[in-house]
Amino acid sequence: MSTLYLRLHRSFNIGKLLIIIFLIFYTILSVYPFLWMVSATMKDPIEVVTSGSLIPQHPSFTSLIETWQKLNFFLHFRNSLFLTTIVILGSIVLYSLAGYGFAILPFKGGNLLLGFFLSMLLVPGVTVLVPLYILLRLQVPMIGPHSPYWLTYLGTALPIINGGAPFAMFLFRNYFKSLPHELHDSAQVDGASELRIYWSIYLPLAFPAIATIGITTFLASWNAFAWPNIVLTKPEWQTLPLMLRQLDLERLIQWNVRMSGSLFVIIPVIIVFFLLQRYYVAGLTGSVKS
Amino acid sequence: MKILPKIRNAFRNNRGFWFVLPSVLLWLFVGLYPVAFSIALAFHQWNGYGKFFSIFPKYLCVHPTCRFVGLENFVKFLTPGLPTTKSFLNALSNNFTLMIFGTIGVIAIALPLAFALNNAKFGSRVTRALLLLPMATAGIATYYVWKLIYQPTGVLNKLLENFGLAAWVAKDGWLGGIHTALGSLIAVTIWSGVPFAMILYLAGLQTIPEEIYDAAIIDGASSWQRLRHIAWPMLAPMTIIVVILSLSGALQGFELQFLMTSGGPAEHTNVVGLMVYVEAFGGWGVPDLGRASAYGWSLFILGVGLSLLSLYFNQKYQGGNE
Repeated sequence: MSTLYLRLHRSFNIGKLLIIIFLIFYTILSVYPFLWMVSATMKDPIEVVTSGSLIPQHPSFTSLIETWQKLNFFLHFRNSLFLTTIVILGSIVLYSLAGYGFAILPFKGGNLLLGFFLSMLLVPGVTVLVPLYILLRLQVPMIGPHSPYWLTYLGTALPIINGGAPFAMFLFRNYFKSLPHELHDSAQVDGASELRIYWSIYLPLAFPAIATIGITTFLASWNAFAWPNIVLTKPEWQTLPLMLRQLDLERLIQWNVRMSGSLFVIIPVIIVFFLLQRYYVAGLTGSVKS
Repeated sequence: MKILPKIRNAFRNNRGFWFVLPSVLLWLFVGLYPVAFSIALAFHQWNGYGKFFSIFPKYLCVHPTCRFVGLENFVKFLTPGLPTTKSFLNALSNNFTLMIFGTIGVIAIALPLAFALNNAKFGSRVTRALLLLPMATAGIATYYVWKLIYQPTGVLNKLLENFGLAAWVAKDGWLGGIHTALGSLIAVTIWSGVPFAMILYLAGLQTIPEEIYDAAIIDGASSWQRLRHIAWPMLAPMTIIVVILSLSGALQGFELQFLMTSGGPAEHTNVVGLMVYVEAFGGWGVPDLGRASAYGWSLFILGVGLSLLSLYFNQKYQGGNE
């Protein structure tokens, strides 16, 4: 009886109704710019900046097709994919190892070291752009004018990987800490080495955390702009977001072209994110709980 | 003879360090070194030409392209009355406006959304996915859509006209007017920042046991009281993460300003990060990399100060509750 009363009491509630209306309103606000983007790709250059209607008067795919050809989509898609792959793999390998070290095998000065890494969040990325450029282009020529494709992308990826270190370390550490420590102890009794315990027991269990870090680093590297814009100077080596600015440089800004390009840049992100967002949320929730 | 077991013990007790070592090496290479370089650079004047400036393996700074100037870079934008000081303070105050309104806006929207999603019985999965879109796509593409929406003849003005709010229409476009530009950028920042905060709050809400709410209802607590005295204190750790993230985002961010307004109109949306970028890579005139670094490090000092402050308040607040 009392539970029934509580449920009823809780479901009729003016505050809750308001909050649901707010939810619906904000969901529309979240999606509306994307609908507007899609609609703009099908408008003509005049209509796109003058019309207030979501539905194009004479829908046409001309700007989409033209932009597709101009973008050279697959070439730059491959570049973006290569960069994101290095960043994702690097982040997962490096920071799951570090998280294991911090969580399972505490060592002298470990907390201090973790705190040091976390404080890196406060170093403004823009101040180290110049030093990084000098370091990777001139001192250790990874991104020099003559360096090969893979080395250039590795050099571009390293600072992005390091930039994600605080969040990834923290997440992996918390996730490993939330697992029962008996896992480690019983494997140790069986004579497994630390590396073996990490690889065969902890890493497979950390799938949600891996998914979260994988998606976070994917988004960060796919959407990265300022740093790749400085180092990936060869036109055919640019990533997709950089190509959006190239579209502008050719002539006056045509908003339908700009929107077509923007759509091509975010479609891969949207597909990946929709497929994997479940795991992303689960991983984040899992490590927050501990 | 006894030294061997000692070494072995030290090795065994600090096994964890070997797991952290690869990350530390990467950090020494592309983290610490650039930071040290950029701190050193803040005390020099260098235009980026000539024999390049270097601190490792040996110190290198050759006249006339490079020289040591001590605190001069900082003096140039901290002495009252100088035009550079005015620009800097203007940009800094924009940073603070972004930080304060951005943080408050994100929390004020993300918290009720998380409540709604936590209570919704059906459709919450799809809604959640849609709500996360702005986070997934944050970057040049979404900045461009917003720029289109904000145009003088853009859809925001059209909508205002249609709803009879013609007086609110921004005639020069929302990014073109000196009174609307910064606010419009803050709106985009909030729009991109809400999803992550919402997910954190949602995770936090799911850790609060049902019984606490039930007990509070029996004791006659209103929904506002439940929000204020149960959920909000229990979500304090999430709030701290959200505050620190949006704080550092607002202090360091410049891509939004770079791609949407270039700091205009008339520096009304300029931020310190953009000043650093423009000074170093931006194009007009001879770059002054030393001054760019000095701008950046003043941001860092502020960031550290503000984080310590927010941690202090968090501790004080939680201490008072117990």
